[in-house]
Amino acid sequence: MSNISNNTLKVDTFTCAWCGLTVSTFAADGTRRNHCPSCLHSQHVSDHVKGGPSQCHGRMTPIAIAVLRTADWMLIHRCVRCDELTSNPVCADDNQLMLMRMAVRPLAQPPFPLEALGSL
Amino acid sequence: MPRRKQPRGRDRSARRPQRHKDVLHGNGGHRAHDFRCVNCRLDVSLTAPGTAHRNHCPNCLASLHVDRRIPGDRASDCRGQMVALAMFTRPDGEWMIVHQCLTCGELSANRIAGDDNALVLVRLALKPLQDTTMASRTLLTL
Repeated sequence: MSNISNNTLKVDTFTCAWCGLTVSTFAADGTRRNHCPSCLHSQHVSDHVKGGPSQCHGRMTPIAIAVLRTADWMLIHRCVRCDELTSNPVCADDNQLMLMRMAVRPLAQPPFPLEALGSL
Repeated sequence: MPRRKQPRGRDRSARRPQRHKDVLHGNGGHRAHDFRCVNCRLDVSLTAPGTAHRNHCPNCLASLHVDRRIPGDRASDCRGQMVALAMFTRPDGEWMIVHQCLTCGELSANRIAGDDNALVLVRLALKPLQDTTMASRTLLTL
């Protein structure tokens, strides 16, 4: 039994801190994921400033969509405990409705009337 | 730009109070004079309508990485240029800019000020929808 290689049997999962979904750590295309594909919440386990693991372990809520120069979307999370911000690439199987909601939310609540921009 | 009169959605009495921050203008920790934008070289005055912590240029939204956690603490020794990366809204409808430091990659969030360039703000908010391949793929999989 010992000659069965580890990487075929190892099923690495984590439980989402927000919706409780059990998620496999690696997506279908082999990339490592760090947020729940359903509700996009994450957990503050790695320290992005100093590097290495973080002691916080707070839940991280998705707040914004950032666009790279390569037109890839990045998901920006904020820790609810320590207000740390992180950015991570979106996965292919992430909840597209949540992503789109987050992308268009600033336009739903503009701080100034957008009609004024039409006269520019 | 005039501010919209009535906030939409939930009433404002239900909002969470803002996290306490010490305003460091008075005791010399904060800059005392106008500053010049590192990106577009615009002279920016200290007083901003709508915010007590102006940290970005109202013309090009660029900022400088000087504060670590509390606005005005000047505790960061990076001093890199920060560019506006993304836009998001608080639950009460307030627009916030996410800045990313070009030197160390640190992210920070700041409220928009009343005199920020509206065209640049809307361009930043529309950035995810600008690339039609990603947005249409998202809409098709719904």
